[in-house]
This record gives sequence, structure tokens and C-alpha cells, in this order.
Amino acid sequence: MQDLLSVVTLGSIYLLFALGMSLTWGTIDILNFSHGSIFMFSVFTGYLILDLTTLPFLPVLLIGVAVGALMSLLVQVLAFEQILKRATNKKTAEMQILIGGIGVAIIPLAIAQHHTKSNPFGLRESSFELHTWVVGDLRITNIAAITVVTAAILWVAMALWLRRSRQGLALRAIGVDTEVASLMGVHRRRLALATMAVSGALAGLAGMLFTFSLGAITPESGDTLLVKAFACIILGGIGSMRGVLFGSYFLAACEVWVLTQTSGSWVEAVSFGLIFLVLLIRPTGVFGRKEVRRT
Amino acid sequence: MTTSANERVAHAPDSGTPVFEARDVKVYFGGVKAVDGVSLKLMPGLIYGIIGPNGSGKSTLIGAMTRLTKLTSGELLFDGEPYHNASASSIARKRVARTFQTVRLLPDLDVRDNIRLGADGRQDERPNLLSRILGIGGSPATDDAIDKAQLHGFESFYPSELSYGTQRRVEIARAISTNPRLLLLDEPTAGMNQTERAEISQLMKSLKNDGLCQLLVEHDVQMMIDTCDHVFAMNFGKLIAEGRPEDVVRDPQVQEAYLGRKWREHA
Amino acid sequence: MSWYDTNLVLIQATITGLLLALSIQIPLRMGVFSFAGVGAYGFGCYAGAVLVLDHQMAALPTILVTTLAGGLIVLVLGLFINRLNGLTLAMATVAFDLIIGVVAVNGGETTGGATGRYGVISDFTMGHMWTILVVVMVLVALSERGKLGRRIDAVRDDPELASSVGIRVYNYRLAAFFVSGLLGAAAGAMNILVRSAITPLDIGFHLIVLALTMIIVGGSLSWKGAVIGAVVFTWLPDVLQVIGEWQELVYGVIVAVAAVLMPRGIYGLYVEAKRAVLRRRRTRRGAVRAAVAAERARTTDDDEALAEMEDDLGSPSVTPGGSMGANL
Ligand SMILES: Nc1ncnc2c1ncn2[C@@H]1O[C@H](COP(=O)(O)OP(=O)(O)O)[C@@H](O)[C@H]1O
Ligand SMILES: [Mg+2]
Repeated sequence: MQDLLSVVTLGSIYLLFALGMSLTWGTIDILNFSHGSIFMFSVFTGYLILDLTTLPFLPVLLIGVAVGALMSLLVQVLAFEQILKRATNKKTAEMQILIGGIGVAIIPLAIAQHHTKSNPFGLRESSFELHTWVVGDLRITNIAAITVVTAAILWVAMALWLRRSRQGLALRAIGVDTEVASLMGVHRRRLALATMAVSGALAGLAGMLFTFSLGAITPESGDTLLVKAFACIILGGIGSMRGVLFGSYFLAACEVWVLTQTSGSWVEAVSFGLIFLVLLIRPTGVFGRKEVRRT
Repeated sequence: MTTSANERVAHAPDSGTPVFEARDVKVYFGGVKAVDGVSLKLMPGLIYGIIGPNGSGKSTLIGAMTRLTKLTSGELLFDGEPYHNASASSIARKRVARTFQTVRLLPDLDVRDNIRLGADGRQDERPNLLSRILGIGGSPATDDAIDKAQLHGFESFYPSELSYGTQRRVEIARAISTNPRLLLLDEPTAGMNQTERAEISQLMKSLKNDGLCQLLVEHDVQMMIDTCDHVFAMNFGKLIAEGRPEDVVRDPQVQEAYLGRKWREHA
Repeated sequence: MSWYDTNLVLIQATITGLLLALSIQIPLRMGVFSFAGVGAYGFGCYAGAVLVLDHQMAALPTILVTTLAGGLIVLVLGLFINRLNGLTLAMATVAFDLIIGVVAVNGGETTGGATGRYGVISDFTMGHMWTILVVVMVLVALSERGKLGRRIDAVRDDPELASSVGIRVYNYRLAAFFVSGLLGAAAGAMNILVRSAITPLDIGFHLIVLALTMIIVGGSLSWKGAVIGAVVFTWLPDVLQVIGEWQELVYGVIVAVAAVLMPRGIYGLYVEAKRAVLRRRRTRRGAVRAAVAAERARTTDDDEALAEMEDDLGSPSVTPGGSMGANL
């Protein structure tokens, strides 16, 4: 039972992180490799601010959201838009965006590594206090509860937004067919910026919740999560909302299971192994739509 | 410029073994029946034409013939041998060459190297080991193709530095340099003016005299009539008429195919 | 001590770094977006250590066996994942690299767990190292010339076109995997022989980033770019000591700017400059002038051609008012 709780908590963190990556990849075709860096740097900023003053829980989360969104926008304007402007074809553009993301990610990483000497850092100075409720023989922390609820709410909100709203429709149209989307009068640039901002905000939020529940992260934590989020997305199918949901909790379940079954640190291999397995058996993922023709 | 009618009769299709034969070829993209049961034979030394409105399946047919597009069903034969399960590169090595509807030159190679890419595959163009390794030495097949496509002076240009028409001639030269036995040209003259078109027509006829079988997709009726011995008309993935070019363009069904389209567009 | 001796460690690092960079550049040059070479590098480090420490093998046989095994492993990987496209292929190979790291941590005695293997001393000399490097570089340089060079270009830029001129694209892609495995494993084996120790931390995600930055900044389409990148990123941290504590940031900025603004790297800039000079020079040559003039003369009725093209695009020119009508 306690394990199940761990699965749900861990899965919710993965979901928050992967949701942002999935959003940009599934709609505007950007696999943002600086997502992990943004995640980390939001926490880092919070850590710096908390050095100066003490803040309660909510403002800290808001800092994460704001910093994440801002950084994501910067990456989009300074890097990805420049790459797309110069790219000659879709294949090389995809690749350059991946590489550009990796390149851009080095900068916040370097700043954080320099400042912390690569040591773990956390948000201890916040006035937030950890509670543990004991229900039967279950132990639930308040932060775990908050994480799970936030992830659930955001997932539902995002799914509804994508399905119902005009912008959501337009975004999905871009994901499927750029031409149709432009016929619909979609402002591609504005929409892409908005998408990136939302995605970054999710990364920041995930970072804060992750750090509150784990106590501390290292500057390199983002990289690991990046590959895990990729596993979640691939598992469920690129561009599918149900897909990320499934992928995140499934990965968490596998990891927790491996953790309880084996000694050693095989748990790290779970996500990598799953990526392989899915790509070999069902490259479109569990809920993946068929490759859509885009010409 | 016109070939006399007698000459054409002498070359009448249906005598001897065809270079190429398609039997009931179908290519479906999901629900779209791009090619829907096409059968045709191509004889050596003749120039064939395909006309048909946009989207009627001409390019898809050529894609299927070169195995770049997956066949839904049907048979393809080259020299009487079925090849519809072979790979695209193997049919190219049997010397079926093509050009594409959109210009596809490699941006990092100059004109000469772009053309030589075709000559590289030739059996008779195997320079000795040393020059092959070092990448030195000439290529007569490339020189010849440059000659035929009148590209002298442009050898060291890169594709982005050429006009559209010249780029298309480089494409044709690349196809010719493979020493093909069947040459498929997908709208090679799109964007060219009358002078340039006449040159391409002339080039095709000189290749024909060497015994090459050619299939030309072309919208310009005058060029069709001047160049082709036999024309197929396509609409909605099906062959709707075939015969001498003059007859095919007068065929009511063919006119309907184009006119009907025009009509709908105006409606 | 001479300059060579004082900087020997950096020189060795440049050589292994160069081979590692090539192990990613070669598949990239063939249009295969694979980082599997980095995994082969990790494998090479450990296999080299195991062969020398546990099997008392000499340096050259160790390198030979390790290299071939690395090539085969990545080739088998390639057989499985070859059909994936760009990004997913890249990520599958990233997963492969990271799995090698996890295996290293959990490999027990063979890999030495978290502490790794150390004390790998053999009869490896700098003479060996230079010889291997020269052989590899000559072979790589040859692959950029002549027929093979052209065909690799075609396979990368337009696989469909490549197969339409008779190139077996599938074989080229598999070869890309095989060669990247060979190069990565060779680099890893040489690294362990000169460095004498290896831990799982040495073969993480950062190694992918390093190899990638070398060829992105140096240039991804030529071995010269890989050389530039390997030299820059092995020596830069040393030079940047001058800048002091912010060297990592400067490094990051360089990589980011290169990735965004000059995707073909420093060598790409040189190539472009060379082309511009060529263009200028050749306009003075008679044959070229004649050809260009002839072309211009031929296309004087350009407006007409353009109009016709638009006509073609909109609808075929066989319309009642068009050339068909004229022919009827
Ligand atoms: N790769 C593809 N996927 C789906 N539909 C396609 C594809 N290629 C062509 N089509 C469709 O097949 C039909 C025939 O196209 P095409 O062969 O290009 O016609 P044409 O060359 O005669 O203009 C068109 O309706 C086109 O939209
Ligand atoms: Mg077409």
C-alpha cells in the first residue's frame, strides 16, 4: 500500500515534468532539451531568493512558475526561433533544435554549478513545514498530497483546454497540419510562445514540488529527469494527453517495483530500458496516433 | 521539329518485348486511390507521355515504377522480369532513371558532382582503385551528360547559384549519366520558357535515337505533340485514354477531365 | 621538459576526444542521428580495463578486440533501431548510452561497481596512439572524397534520391552504426590505457554533450571540423583559466551560440568563405561568362515563362483559352 502511494507521488512528479515537454513536442514540434535545465534553474532561483528572505509555500511555487515561464520564453525567442528562421528543411531543423536545446541548457547549468560547487541545494528557508499524516499504517506527507492533487488538476485542465478552447484546437491543428492551422487564422508565433511559456511554467512548478518533497536537488538533476520524461512521453505516445498520464505512472510503478525487488541501482536503467522496449515493439506508444502526413 | 507520322507507325507499340510493363497497378494512401488499376507497356526506343490534371496520380505512378512508393497491389516488370518486390536501389541499378517533380539536387555538391552521382553507379565507369580512393580522375559519362544537357561553364556552380531552369537541366543530366534504359521525367520543364522546352524536347529526341525508352509527364500540349510517340491520359488514378498525342488531346474524355476541373474551380 | 611532455595529458585527451567526436560525426554525416558511439566509448573503457587487468592482454590486442566488439554491438543495436526516425532514433541511442553506465555501476567485480576499475597499466605507447590516429584519420578523410564522399552526401541529404540513383541506403545506415561503434570503442580503449582508471561517472550524459559540442562548434560535415572541435574543447578549459571562475559559463555560451547561429560550425564558415571566393574568381573566367550570358539570353522571355509556370501551378495549361485551344 505504501508502495502504491510512492508510485502515485513519484508518478505525479514525472507527470508535471513530462506534461510540459509533451505539450511542446506534440503541438509545436519542439523537443526542448533545456526543459531539465529550466526545471533546475527555477529551483535554484527560489533557493537564492530564500537566502534573502523567508517566504511561505505559495509564493515559492509562484516564483518557480514565473522563472520557468520566463526562461522558456527566452529559449524560444533567442534559440529556437532563430534556428527555425535559418533552417532549410524539417529534418535538420528538428535536429538543430535538439542540439540547440542541449547547448542552451549548459548556461544555467554552469551558473548553478558554479554557485553551488555542484552540491545539492534545497528550499529549506521557506516557512513551509512538512507534515506527515498517519492513516492506518499509511504515511502520507502533505507535500505528496499537494503534488498528486496539483498534477491531477493540471492534467485535467490541460486536457480540457486542448480539447475545448479555440487556442487548444488551433494548437492541435498545428500539431497535425501547419497549413490547415494557418488557414484557421492561427498566429503561429504567438501560440508557440504561449505554449513554451506554459511548458516552462510547468517545469518550474514541478521543480519546486519535487524539491519540497525530496529536500534538495543537484544542478544535474534536470538531465536525469529529461530522459525519464522522454520515456514517459514515448511510452504513452507522442502528443497524447492520456499517453503522458499513463507513461508517467507506469514508469513510476516500474521503478518502485524494481526498487523493491532488486538491490543495487538498477532502477536508473528502468526508464532507458522502457524507451527501448517501446521503440522496438510499438514505436507509436500505447495511445499514439498514427504518424500523420505533413506535407 | 515534328517527327513524321510514318516514322511513328514504324515504331508502333505492341511489337517485341516491352522494356517495362505495369499490370493493374494500384497505389492507395489510406482512402485516396492515387493510382487505381493502371496497366501499360513501354517499348524500347519510344518516347511516351502522360497527361492528366494535377492530383491524377502521375507522380505516384512514377514513384511506384521506381519502387520509391509502396504498391498496394499489381505487378511491375522490367525486361519481362517482375520486380515489384525489389528495392528502389536495385531497380535503379537495372538502369531505370528518373527525375523528380521538385528539384532535388544536393546543396553541398557542385553541378559536376551532382551529375556524377548518377555516373557513379555505372558498371562501365569503374576507375582504377587508386583514383577511386583518391577521388581523382575524370568521368566520361559525366562529361557526356554535361554535354547533352548543355551545362558547360556551370560545372563548379552550386545548385543555389543556378536559375531554376538550369537546376532542372542538372537533374536531367544526373539521370542521363546513369546510362539508363528507361528514363522517367516528372514534369522536367515546369518553370521553363519555350526556348528551354524546345531544348529539352530536342535532347529527348537525340536520346531516343540512341534507343532509350522515355516516359514524360508534361502539361504543355505542344511539347507533348512535338516530343512523344504515344501518350497516356490519366484522371483519378485511372488511364482514360491512350494513343497518338494528337488524338489523345482531342479525346472528349481527356478534355472533360481538364475542363471539368476548370469548371469546378470557377463554380 | 619540452612542451610536448608537459602537455602530454592534454594531447592524449585531444586524441581520444577526437575519435569520440568522430564516432558521432560519421553517423551524422550519413544522416543517422545516433549517439551510440558514446555508449561504445563507455564499453571500450571497461572492456579495455577488463582485458588488461583480468586477462593480462597486451595493449594492441586489447584495442583490436575491444574495437571490433564495440563495432559489432552497435551494429546489432543498429539492426534493431534502424527503422526509427530522427529524434526517436537519437533518444534510443541516448538510452543505450545511459544503460551502459547503469550496467557499469551494477557489474560487480567485472566493472568494479561505483568505484570502477583502476591501475590499468600496459605496454601502450604514444607511438601506438599516433599510429592509430593517423590510420583512422586517413580512412575518414578518404570517406569524404570521390565516389564514397558523394554517396554519403546523398544518403544524408536525400535518401530517396540516393536510392533512385542505385545507392543501397540501408547498408550505408548500418555501416554508420558499425563505424561509430568501432570509433567509440577504440577511443574508449585508448582512453583507459592512457588514463589507467575508469568510473561510471566518467561515461554519463555529459559525455554525449561533450562529443556533440565538439562537432557542432567545429563543424559536422568534415573530419577537419571534428579536429577543430576536439582541440578547442580539450584546450579551452585550460585557456579559460585566465577568465577564471566563470569559464564554465563562457563554455556554455560558446556552445549555445554555435548551436543556434552556425550549425555547420567553424569549419562550415571556412567552407562558405571559400565558396564565396571561388564564385568571385570564376566570374572572370571566359567559359563561365559565356555560359551565364547564354543562359541569360535564353531566359530573356522569363516573364512569359513565369506566367506559364503560374498557369501550370494553378491548373494545367490545357485549358480552353490555353495552348490546348490553340492546338485544336
Ligand atoms: N505520400 C502521399 N500520401 C497521401 N496521399 C498522397 C501522397 N502522395 C500523393 N498523394 C495523393 O495522391 C494523389 C495523386 O497525387 P500525384 O501522384 O502527385 O498526382 P500528379 O502527379 O498527377 O499531380 C493526390 O490526391 C495526392 O494528394
Ligand atoms: Mg505530379
